[in-house]
Order: sequence, then C-alpha cells, then structure tokens
Amino acid sequence: MTLRERYDAMTRAEQGVTLFVGGFGFLLVLALLTGTLTPTYTLYLAGLTGMYILLSFGLNAQWGYTGLINFSVAAFFGIGAYATALVTATNSPLSIPGGVVVGLVLAILASAVIAVAIAIPTLRLRSDYLAIASLGLAEVVRQIVLNQRDWTNGSGGLRGIPDVFAGWPVLGGLPERLPGLEFTEYAVGVPGLFQVRVLGFTLDTPFWTDLLNFVVVVVFVVAVYLLLRRVHRSPWGRVLRTIRSDEDLASALGKDTYGFKLQSFVLGSIVMALGGVFYAFLAAYVSPGDLEPINTFYVWIAVILGGSGSNRGAMFGGFVVVAIREGTRFASDILPSQLPVNIPVLVDVYGAIVSDFGSTRLLIVGLLIVLVMRLRPEGVLPPQRELVWPSALEERDE
Amino acid sequence: MSETLTTGANREKDDTVLEVEGLHKAFGGLVATDDASFAVERGSITALIGPNGAGKSTIFNLVSGFYEPDAGTVRVNGTDVTGMEPNEVATEGLIRTFQTPRKLEGMTVREAMLVGASDQPGESFLKLFTDPSGVEAAERANIEDAHEMLEQFEIGHLATQPATDLSGGQMKLVELARAMLAEPEILLLDEPVAGVNPTLANKLSDHIARLNEEGVTLCLIEHDMEFVMNLADPVIVLDRGSVLVEGPSEAVRNDQRVIDAYLGGDSA
Ligand SMILES: Nc1ncnc2c1ncn2[C@@H]1O[C@H](COP(=O)(O)OP(=O)(O)OP(=O)(O)O)[C@@H](O)[C@H]1O
Ligand SMILES: [Mg+2]
Repeated sequence: MTLRERYDAMTRAEQGVTLFVGGFGFLLVLALLTGTLTPTYTLYLAGLTGMYILLSFGLNAQWGYTGLINFSVAAFFGIGAYATALVTATNSPLSIPGGVVVGLVLAILASAVIAVAIAIPTLRLRSDYLAIASLGLAEVVRQIVLNQRDWTNGSGGLRGIPDVFAGWPVLGGLPERLPGLEFTEYAVGVPGLFQVRVLGFTLDTPFWTDLLNFVVVVVFVVAVYLLLRRVHRSPWGRVLRTIRSDEDLASALGKDTYGFKLQSFVLGSIVMALGGVFYAFLAAYVSPGDLEPINTFYVWIAVILGGSGSNRGAMFGGFVVVAIREGTRFASDILPSQLPVNIPVLVDVYGAIVSDFGSTRLLIVGLLIVLVMRLRPEGVLPPQRELVWPSALEERDE
Repeated sequence: MSETLTTGANREKDDTVLEVEGLHKAFGGLVATDDASFAVERGSITALIGPNGAGKSTIFNLVSGFYEPDAGTVRVNGTDVTGMEPNEVATEGLIRTFQTPRKLEGMTVREAMLVGASDQPGESFLKLFTDPSGVEAAERANIEDAHEMLEQFEIGHLATQPATDLSGGQMKLVELARAMLAEPEILLLDEPVAGVNPTLANKLSDHIARLNEEGVTLCLIEHDMEFVMNLADPVIVLDRGSVLVEGPSEAVRNDQRVIDAYLGGDSA
C-alpha cells in the first residue's frame, strides 16, 4: 500500500490524529535542529510519554474495556517503581540482589497480588465500591512508602538507580563506552531576511543512556500494545465490553462476570506497574512524591481524552498529557513575565497565568476536558472498527 | 395440554424443565413473591400474566438468580439452582431476556450476537495465546452461526449495523436471536412485545412459535392479551405474588377471579 492509500483507508478521526502527530513531529524536529530542545531532553520526554502510554493502557484495560473505576493508578505505578528501585537503588534499605529482571518480576507479582486483594472484596459489590476502595488504596500505599523508612527510605526516596542493563554482557555500560558524536553548528537562512543556527551539539553518555531507555520503553509499549490488541478483539475482550455496557446481560448469558472483572483489573494493574518499572530507570530516582494522586488524574484525562476503550486512543492521550505537562513548563520559560502592552485587567490576568504555571496547566487540562466532553464525548479516537478476532472474519467479509 | 382450569398452579406435569416451589421474596415490608409455586412443562409455551406489580418480573429475577429468594426452591432440569449466581443458572440451560431491552454500546449487531454463544475457548485469556487456532476455529463457527441465526429471524441485513442504531422491535428480535445462540433448554422472555408495533409483534409471535416447534421450552410474561391467547398454553395468572389460577387461555380469560384480580389489581 502506498502512503496515500493508507491515508485514504483511515477514518476521519484517524486522519486527524495522524496529521496532528505528524505536524507535532515536524515541529519537534525543527526544535531539535535549532537547539530549542536538546536531543537528550527530547529523549527524556519521549520516555515520559512512553510511561504515560503504559499507564493509560493499564487504565484503559480496566475502565475502557470493562468499566472498572480505578483511582489508584498512581499506587500501581508506585508499586512498579518501588519494586524496581528497592532492588536496584544504591541506597535501598532492603538488600535484594538483582537487576531489571528481578525488579520486573517483583513488580508484576506485587501489583497482581495487591490488585487481587482489593478486587476480591469489592468486585462483587456495586461498581462504586471499587472506586472508593481504590481511592483509599492509593493513599494507603503512599503513606506506607512515606512512613516505612526502614523499607523505603521514606521521603528521602531511593536514588542511584543504575542503567537498565547494568551488569549485563554487551548492553551493560554501553552508554559509557559509546563515543561522543559532535555536530558542528551551521547557520542557515536567506541572507538579509533571517538566519538560524542549527545543530551544534554533542551526543555523549547521557544521550546514549536516554536512547537506551527510549528503546526499552518502545519495546514495552509495543509488546503491551500487541498483547492488548489481541485480547481486546477476542471473545474475552467481548465479554469485558458487554460487562461495561450491561453487566446483568453478561451474567444472564452465562458469563462469570466476577471472574472476568478480576482478570481485567489484574491485567490493567500489571501494565501500570510496568510503567512504574520503566520510570524508575528513566528518572533514576523515585520518591513518595511520584505517588501523588495528580498522576492518577492525568492518566484518567489521557484515557477519556483519547477515547475510552481504545488502545490507540490511550496512546494518543498519553502523548497529549505529556505535551501539556511539559509544554506548559516550556512555555513558562520562554514567555515574558509581563505583558508587553499595557492593557488594564489583561495585564493582571496574564501575570497570574504566567507566574503560576502549575495552576495554569490544570486550567488548560480542565478546559480541554470540557471541550472534548462537549464536542466529542466518546473521545478523540474511540475504537474505529468492529472488534472481532480478525482471522475468523477472513473470506466472510471479502 | 392443560384441559381445565386449576386453582393455584397445575403441578401434575410429567416432564418439567422448570419447577418453582414455595418461592418467597420481600423487599422491606413489601412482599413481592408470596409462596409462589408452579411448573413449566417441557415443550410448552407457558405464559405468566397478572396485573402490574403482581410480581412477575420478580419471579423471573428469582428464578434466574438475580434475586436471592427468602424461601423456596427453583429447579432447572431437575437440578436445584436456588441461590446460584445468574451465570451458573444460565449454564444450567435457563436463559432470560429483560423487560427493558439492553443495548451494547460500540458493538455491531453481530458482535452483540456473538456474546450469546456459550463455551467459547476464546473467553479464556490463556487460550488466546496458547491455542490461537482453536480460538479462531470456534470464532469462525460462531460468526457463521450468528449470521445464520440473524437470517432465520429475517434481520440478516442488520449484521454489521451498530447495535445502538436499532429500533426497539429490532432490538427485541436481536435479543431473542442472541438468546438462542446460548442453546437454552428454557427461555424466559419478559414482555417480548412491549412497545413493539403490531406488525413486528406478529412477527415476534411467529418466531416464538417457530422456536417452540424446534423444541425450545418458553416461559413468557406479557400484558398483550391477544399475543398471549394466540401463543401460550397454559397461562398462569399471578396476583399479589402468588399463583391464582392456571389453565388454557380461553378458560383463564373468562374466570371471575382473574377478572377481579385485574380490576382490583392495583389495590395497594
Ligand atoms: N428491587 C426491588 N426493590 C424493591 N421493590 C421491588 C423490587 N423489585 C420489585 N419490587 C416491587 O415488587 C412488586 C412486584 O414487582 P414486579 O416488577 O415483579 O411486578 P410485575 O408483575 O413485573 O409488574 P409489571 O407488569 O409492571 O412489569 C412491585 O410492587 C415492585 O415495586
Ligand atoms: Mg415486570
């Protein structure tokens, strides 16, 4: 298929998102070339996006598929991050030997066990009970991490988390061994009209470290996406979607809805923990601050905005959330702190917006959600096609 | 089948698919089901009628496991299903529909149909990865069955339409067709023609008669008397939570106790 045919075969929502992402990518390349963004920071942002995508995948597998309301995204994320950090951090109070693999296994086990523990008493009850219990769980996990100093080092956090592959053959210490690449600066432009300086940076160890992280998160995201796509289109996923629309109907047709809800909840929680595992390596430092409820909130925004029930929507949502989170930070750096023209009222409003970007960010998120709910309540990219095991439809629909 | 009217339910049936005995259910002070007993004979279309609030839907909910009875037993095919979860009752062969049609958002009609099929290997998370070819084969067969079933109900053209775009009557047809994919021993229909236009109601009536000829036992609740008279035998009349009389439709219609129940039906 040529690109053109591919584009034509898309639905309008898909075309819109493709154009948006394409345009955004183009701006990113420009920003990189002109030095507005450094390559290392860009890779860090990409890693952060990957992490949010994993969290959104997880929540989507719970809320989007099955309609389970989970307000403890940050807790499952934290379980993943802390499981990894406890194994690998230099100041970990628990001396569990191991690297990324042990951390990963521990994260999966811990998140699965805690997911089951909270799901068993609540999933038989009305759906709001899980919501309330998960809200409590998020706080409990945060308080434990904060107060059990002899396990978690409390508010000091866990630092000195090495590279993902530290100690592995070949991959271990690779970033240190790779040579620095120097790019000479050029000046391009139309003489007399404008001129910009491009390139002029050196790619060395921090860059290679982030590049390796980026590769890791891409592998995580792709693997999880492929897994989720398969289960979402399967009869298993169909039962979850039936439960979301009408749980009574699913039971009346003989489906053990409790069992399905449990599976969906555990699956989503494990995926969230994977996001945490990756974050520990990305930031090389985890602290109780990472478990703040605001992160749960961002992930909900991502899923609702992207389109509940859609894996690609969750991906898009994760991307937008990072764009807002980091974009506002970026804007606060480059915008002048005072409005250049003196219009009464406006000057004050502008001053308030620019001086407190933390709040402005929430304001933007709020406005965005209101807009989406008004104009497109199903989200930007809800599932676009019939969800049936694809190979079973071959021949039939030709 | 039943020749004459009996006071209370007729319990002299040889081969019953559903047996309800001494069922009791109260919501706070309100007794919705009061010592109700009846049986549904294999191969019959048994109607459950009664004034509004007589407790018909409550009985369906008790029988299908959605409500827990305070007392009494329910047997499906001889198996005691009292207190079982709804999905377990369904697995015993009792499939029900709901008074208000249930829509499945974001699904096409055939997707919504596919939920009906039981024993799907693809409903096991593990088998999706360990046995994809088995999943595919079953899914292929189920899709084939779903299309065929829709054809039988003369709505094959709707297969790939969004399930939310259907009219109320079409929705009822789809529900019926889907319930059939679960291969029930007995099908409980709660007001299958409520809110459906007369033409479609006749169609539904024909389809129900056809299913019955194919060997499905049916038990249905319906207010539309003409529909009941044409289709059902026997008719069980429920009043204030218990069985008043049971008999052939003609006899039931002319019975004074039934007339009184309907006239004074809403006395609180
Ligand atoms: N979940 C419930 N909680 C409280 N009261 C209920 C509940 N379900 C039913 N009832 C009450 O039980 C009585 C019987 O209700 P039910 O729905 O079984 O009547 P019905 O015969 O199906 O009536 P209709 O013909 O109007 O559908 C009514 O008074 C109703 O209000
Ligand atoms: Mg009713």
